[in-house]
Amino acid sequence: MSSKVPRNFRLLEELEKGEKGQGAEACSLGLDDGDDIMMSNWNGTILGPPHSVHENRIYSVKLHCDENYPDVPPSVQFISRVNLPCVDQNTGQVIPTQLTCLAQWKRDYTMEHVLVELRRSMAHPSNRKLPQAPEGSTY
Amino acid sequence: MALPKRIIKETERLVAEPVPGIQAVPHEDNLRYFDVAIHGPTQSPYEGGVFKLELFLPEDYPMTPPKIRFLTKIYHPNIDRLANWSPALQIRTILLSIQALLGAPNPDDPLANDVAQRWKEDEPGAIATAREWTKTHATP
Repeated sequence: MSSKVPRNFRLLEELEKGEKGQGAEACSLGLDDGDDIMMSNWNGTILGPPHSVHENRIYSVKLHCDENYPDVPPSVQFISRVNLPCVDQNTGQVIPTQLTCLAQWKRDYTMEHVLVELRRSMAHPSNRKLPQAPEGSTY
Repeated sequence: MALPKRIIKETERLVAEPVPGIQAVPHEDNLRYFDVAIHGPTQSPYEGGVFKLELFLPEDYPMTPPKIRFLTKIYHPNIDRLANWSPALQIRTILLSIQALLGAPNPDDPLANDVAQRWKEDEPGAIATAREWTKTHATP
């Protein structure tokens, strides 16, 4: 069995990857507060996928990793308004049961997985033409 | 999930013959993951402080070095510098070198550039800040 990387060292790997820009192209990730020794709160951005109403929009999300991460998924909330079936339209909260990688979370998934899947959901044929609030509006 | 003999031996020795001023205790549910406490060396601005760290031995340890992270805030120009790892080194030796680093900050080989800059321009001031931070963040 492989060795289980503890929470903080896992988050450190995600941070290094984010800072070096080695992550997925259209998504980025950083710590909300660089002095937070527990690395709990993160800011993510998703560049809207082409050939959709989201094209050229930049969406901001907040991610929170509690002390049990990565055994449990992060909680994810949009700051930018977005109309997607997996997003609570009152709060911007991503509904965990509605996003496959959160519903079927595995320990080796990362926050980047979540951002990439959200972006994929924006490009999905059933979602890519959903009416959206004006660019720049927030929850 | 057998733990390599090398790690078992190192851990047993850390417990049986502790290094003065250093405690390293493995987590019960993950024997590659240690809670570490290092006492600041006497005659240094870190004297009287107890610095908490966490240490993780990656899968391919000792071919790759342990990962170490300070949990206590510390004012130091080159903290967590872990150059020149060799598999002949051990958890004990790496913790000793961190303790030694606390006793001899070297602003010419910095990791924390703003701290190193200040250390060069105003050493007494930097040492005073290091002392203050030790008092604020590392005093048990």
